[in-house]
Amino acid sequence: MDEEIVELLARRAGLDKALAEFRDDVLAAARQTATVTQKLNAPTDPRVEPWPAMRPGDGL
Amino acid sequence: MNAGAGQVERHRVEGPLHFLSVTTAAQAIAARELSPVELMKAHLDRIAKLDPKLNAFIRLDAEAALQAAGVAEAEATAGRLRGPLHGVPVGIKDIIDVAGLGTTCHSKVLADNVATSDAVCVSKLREAGAIVVGKLSTHEFAIGGPSFDLPWPPARNPWNPDHHPGGSSSGSGSGVAAGLFPMALGTDTGGSVRNPASCCGIVGLKPTYGLVSRRGVFPLSFTLDHIGPMTRTVEDNALMLETIAGHDARDPGSAAAPNGHYRAAMDRGARGLRVGFVRHFHETDMPAEPEVAAALENVAQTLQTMGADLRDIRLPSLGEFSAVNRIILQSEAWSVHARWLRERPGDYGRLARRRLMAGAFLNAGDYVAANRRRSEMIADINAALAEVDVLLCASSMDPACRIDRPDDIDRTYTRQARTPFNVTGHPALAMMAGLSSTGLPLSVQFVGRYFDEAMLFRVARAWEKASGVDKKHPPIG
Repeated sequence: MDEEIVELLARRAGLDKALAEFRDDVLAAARQTATVTQKLNAPTDPRVEPWPAMRPGDGL
Repeated sequence: MNAGAGQVERHRVEGPLHFLSVTTAAQAIAARELSPVELMKAHLDRIAKLDPKLNAFIRLDAEAALQAAGVAEAEATAGRLRGPLHGVPVGIKDIIDVAGLGTTCHSKVLADNVATSDAVCVSKLREAGAIVVGKLSTHEFAIGGPSFDLPWPPARNPWNPDHHPGGSSSGSGSGVAAGLFPMALGTDTGGSVRNPASCCGIVGLKPTYGLVSRRGVFPLSFTLDHIGPMTRTVEDNALMLETIAGHDARDPGSAAAPNGHYRAAMDRGARGLRVGFVRHFHETDMPAEPEVAAALENVAQTLQTMGADLRDIRLPSLGEFSAVNRIILQSEAWSVHARWLRERPGDYGRLARRRLMAGAFLNAGDYVAANRRRSEMIADINAALAEVDVLLCASSMDPACRIDRPDDIDRTYTRQARTPFNVTGHPALAMMAGLSSTGLPLSVQFVGRYFDEAMLFRVARAWEKASGVDKKHPPIG
């Protein structure tokens, strides 16, 4: 993710102040997510539901 | 003296009071052989002597603790015991509410936040007679540490104060191991009970998701957060879990499972147990330090010698478990912290700021994909646990690193096998597997079926008895 895109996403998330005061930290945070999403093998079966399933009523 | 199944063994008071187990102390108080005031004073003396080096406390509540010990003594003398923990000191991680004390989460952000009521887990401990000694150091908001840019210093490892005690329940791990208190509450979202248990050589349990109420505990990640007991012995851990487990209708994640008598089967030994060894975690996914690998083999062989049926088990890779954990954790944590990170980012320490802001760069698709993969991972572990009674695997891949080397902290932070069981919610217990050549604890982890904590205590107790790890204390003080 290049810096221009990171800046755009950070501003969209409302992190203008962090971008001004802690730019390195914002860039480091963005880099973390880039590497972690690449390691995820999303299910290929479209019927696999996310956990937790919606449950009516109170609690589990 | 051995007790039969279902009976609780009677222990003798031996050695210094600060290293008495919870069970021994509680039994001695109940039998009027030990004064709760004497016990509390011994711990307060130990705290005064060692905490300036260890920084386990954010807020010591000595006066109130001593006063409560006096009340406990009068009650015990009159034959009125509140419960199985009557008069025993407990430390509370500072993201858990204790009425009248600050819940700072070790952060400037909440420096002035005072709890108005007890968290459910604290309330249950007090009803059982435990006495709160104070609030304990944590990584900032249970994610950003160890950090030197916060209002309080990070906790240190009693086995070597130059080393990290693990986290995020760092004060809990350090203090229990050092004998500042015999039991503590920790929280575990990516391994934060089991990491300090591993680094400090104590017993740390992440119970089944939903078994212990989260009400009154500051959230890090709603679907990954667990509250767990941290103690020096397996029996104490089971006793503490018996106290804090149970359904809470006001916690939306609370399970409708009954809490059990977790000590009942604890002494049945390892004979006949089917133990699944997840070797690929530490052999190929994240190769462990040789001493860690050797310690794990020793635990496995010891259990086999005791009559366990040892089998190899394969699960998804640690790298993928870790990715799923981080996407979910960072997304949910961002939803908790977004407003503060937008308005006052300078009130966070650098590590927490970096880790919490990461959630701003994940999208809804990432979060849902991770939770769909989570469903598959739950099925994988349930399938493995249909073949065996318990899993054995690594906890940390390295002994605790030095606390003053940020590169080593970063390198070892993800070298662990704890996050899989936050993702799936299975109960997992970490404890000492031995000591390294440099005198630092090595660790092992046991994992069980949902709500079968009793099986974890059984296998952990078998290893504890065979190895004597509960008798090893840090050479400090």
